[in-house]
Amino acid sequence: MSELDYVGKRILRKDGPDKITGRAKYTMDMRLPGMLVGRILRSPCPHARILNIDTSRAEKLPGVKAVITANDTLGIKHAFVETPRYPPDQYALAANRVRYVGEEVAAVAAIDPYVAEEALHLIQVDYEEMPAVFDPIEAMRQDAPEIHPTHPKVKEPFKNIGGKTYSGWGDVETGFAQSDYMREDRFESHLRTHGYLETQVALASFEPAGKLNIWTSSQGPFIKREKLARTLGLPLSAVRVQMAYVGGAFGGKVDLYAHEFCAALLSMKAGLPVKIAATREEVFAAYRHGQPLIVEIKTGVKKDGTLLAQQIRVINNCGAYRGTGVVVIFLAWGFVMLPYRLPNLKYEGYAVYTNNPPRTAQRGHGAPQLRFALDSQLDMIAEELGMDPVEIRLKNARQPGEQLPNGDNVHNCGLVECIERAAEHTGFREKHLQNRSVGTTLDPLRRGIGIAVSSYHSGSLIYPNSSSAVVKMNDDGTLTLMTGAMDIGQGAETILSQIVAEEVQVPVDKIEVIAADTETTPVDIGSWISGNTYVTGNAAREAASVVRKKLLDLAAEELEASPEDLVLDNMRVYVAGSPGRALKYRDLFTASIRKRRGDPIIGEGHWRTMQDVPFHPSLATTKGRWSENYAFDAQVAEVEVNTETGMVRLVRAVTAHDCGFPINPLLVEGQIDGQISMALGHAFLEEVIMKDGRTLNPSWLDYHMPCIHNMAVSESIDVITETYDVGRSYRTKEVGEGLVSAILAAIANAIFNAIGVRLYSTPFTPEKILRGLGRIK
Amino acid sequence: MKKKQGRQLIELAVNGEAYELAEEPQVTLLEVLRNDLELTGTKESCGTGECGACTVLIDGEPVLSCLTLALDCRDLDILTIEGLAKGGDLTHVQEIFLERGAVQCGFCTPGVVLATTALLKATSRPTDYEIKKALEGHLCRCTGYNKIVEAIDKVLTDGYLVNE
Ligand code: FES
Ligand code: FES
Repeated sequence: MSELDYVGKRILRKDGPDKITGRAKYTMDMRLPGMLVGRILRSPCPHARILNIDTSRAEKLPGVKAVITANDTLGIKHAFVETPRYPPDQYALAANRVRYVGEEVAAVAAIDPYVAEEALHLIQVDYEEMPAVFDPIEAMRQDAPEIHPTHPKVKEPFKNIGGKTYSGWGDVETGFAQSDYMREDRFESHLRTHGYLETQVALASFEPAGKLNIWTSSQGPFIKREKLARTLGLPLSAVRVQMAYVGGAFGGKVDLYAHEFCAALLSMKAGLPVKIAATREEVFAAYRHGQPLIVEIKTGVKKDGTLLAQQIRVINNCGAYRGTGVVVIFLAWGFVMLPYRLPNLKYEGYAVYTNNPPRTAQRGHGAPQLRFALDSQLDMIAEELGMDPVEIRLKNARQPGEQLPNGDNVHNCGLVECIERAAEHTGFREKHLQNRSVGTTLDPLRRGIGIAVSSYHSGSLIYPNSSSAVVKMNDDGTLTLMTGAMDIGQGAETILSQIVAEEVQVPVDKIEVIAADTETTPVDIGSWISGNTYVTGNAAREAASVVRKKLLDLAAEELEASPEDLVLDNMRVYVAGSPGRALKYRDLFTASIRKRRGDPIIGEGHWRTMQDVPFHPSLATTKGRWSENYAFDAQVAEVEVNTETGMVRLVRAVTAHDCGFPINPLLVEGQIDGQISMALGHAFLEEVIMKDGRTLNPSWLDYHMPCIHNMAVSESIDVITETYDVGRSYRTKEVGEGLVSAILAAIANAIFNAIGVRLYSTPFTPEKILRGLGRIK
Repeated sequence: MKKKQGRQLIELAVNGEAYELAEEPQVTLLEVLRNDLELTGTKESCGTGECGACTVLIDGEPVLSCLTLALDCRDLDILTIEGLAKGGDLTHVQEIFLERGAVQCGFCTPGVVLATTALLKATSRPTDYEIKKALEGHLCRCTGYNKIVEAIDKVLTDGYLVNE
């Protein structure tokens, strides 16, 4: 590997100074002259017909500038997934019928928040309540109320099926017949929110000439532009979506939301800018959270622990509209396929409509739920077979170069090394044995250790599945990078700048980034399918290498040397061996203008997750290539269980991860810490509690996100499997999502190791622990 | 439903500047800072006293500006995140926060930095527990708090005292 100056270094984030001084402007901080305040009226009913909406009193209230209902819209439906099989199923403002508490029914724009709030009270909506259903199993019964018709392609006698994924390979019956040991288990996960600190917010300004400008706290502007243009009936080119700083997202800000649509339509109607910001209570009670899954697994293994066959059924309570509900049942299949070799699989996943708010992607998008189930069961199997948890994982872990059943390849997969190093680092085998032997002591505090693995894709074929970037040199030799990528706190702009810096040898702080503006920056994959570093990164690298090449060409001419003998270093070029024969970039810039017919040294680059594959994989059958890049990890949890109180403490979390190579180790560590903390919240603290479609705990106080007292000791081990070489494409892997997963199963396994209690559902509450111990009924 | 009431004149001292404003009695300090003074570095994540994002220092003490009425802040010395770095020079706490990667999305950052600054001014050698007590009201979703604590530890091992 060549010497690297910027890539692989702990470079400080570019946006740090703005953020630490309060200068950073988030969408929430933006104001425009004449700006109105928008508010949304939401359904109080989980399922009802709208008989009539009377907005006349609200319209007459002084200070109200616009009121909208479905009648003011074009009545165009939208959805996160829009395919012939899954046509859009949701109006931006409810028409005729509401299907969940919190569904958007009307919106107002007024001169201040008090007037806007009062106007909402003056809107009279007559509802006729309909029977509702909240539990997915109940919703599947034939006698359940119909929320939407079952998808025509679903042959089983189930109701309310929004989508189905059916997949597999080999022959599970043969696999089960050859198995020495089989077991069937059922696991359940619960509802959690993303916990972004900046609530959802959009500011729209419609210009009389017909242009809609919108700033929105999101994860990528291009998907928003497409959906806004279509639902508003505007040409794509008439919608400009721009970014401001984003106060966290974690999967929750991808899809089109009603507040964005309403801000735009209100602005069109009022002729003034409109800002709509959700309150924290609205985010909890009416916005999209993650997806609780029911996972049923039947597994057959040989005596030596080799997996032979799995039959898996996943049921997703996807809420009142599809949202990403049909994506998660596809992805769930992928999380079964990935980390372990499995010769026979039969998989079915159902997305079931219920009268809950729709759901969306959440960091890991199904992986935590699946890995919790699969790696818990694998430990149960190991226990039955008298095998060590590390052994059974090593036995089944995928090896470098393996081809996956969908045709993808795991390339330089570092999973085996991840497992070995995580186990070694924690003294896993000894502790695991030792913890079990202290079963009879009187000390109420018991220690346990557990391990699990996961794998996650790094970019996938889904709209827009490509990125492009432009790097241009400025007169003074500095650079400007134009990218559609969105920094949502993960450090996208810093990483991309490091890559450009490495290729062109311009320091990171001499690179200006213009990002995430549909008008001025090229299309981008967005910060939501873990493709940023790989896809956008390679696009930026290509753009930078065009600049590099132009500089070398010109310098060779000017210095009368061959390009191979030239060295780029800190904004100058010199001839190797004679540093005196040098030119500054700013002089080359001038020379280029003079000698290259005004060429201002601009480079463009583009990249796609998979170069030659025309379509995204089928959500229905999983057929088709999925990703070029899979990250792998093994995580170990050490816990302390209090057998008297049922409280569990995560004492230590160790992550050994193969992310290819870390472009910025400081940012990688930040991603790992954040994911461990999120998983800790998942395991022990967080739950959106709902009853009959209503959220019972819509506040930070009642929804327990980890605070500083819940900090976990998080250690990490980099398993480096790829290299970065200047001028060559690279394959690095994601690090921002996959690491919320294995740790969850590791915690469950550690609890079993400590007290012999197996947990089949998250969260791991004291009540479940005490019940497992037989201390309460 | 809040109704508009008569505005009252107040003088506020924010970051060493005096402002004369006319405010309604129900308006919070957070609203005045963000909307009238355009000091948007002070963040709102809940508006109900549960997240710490809106923390400012009043006479050196951390206060939740979303729960503080502007009219109650007469004659008090208010410091927001914008007033911390003097003449563009970051304070030691700010610098170390960046160096240690304690900032990701940055939405919690102003509150956390101000609370840390107040703590280190009041207690030159806080214990781990005192650090956690001082920050227990601040939610951060991105960092898991690890790098925040690491940064504060580094400030302490540098032997740096926060007194101007
Ligand atoms: S905004 Fe004041 S505590 Fe959350
Ligand atoms: S850095 Fe994002 S919430 Fe703290």
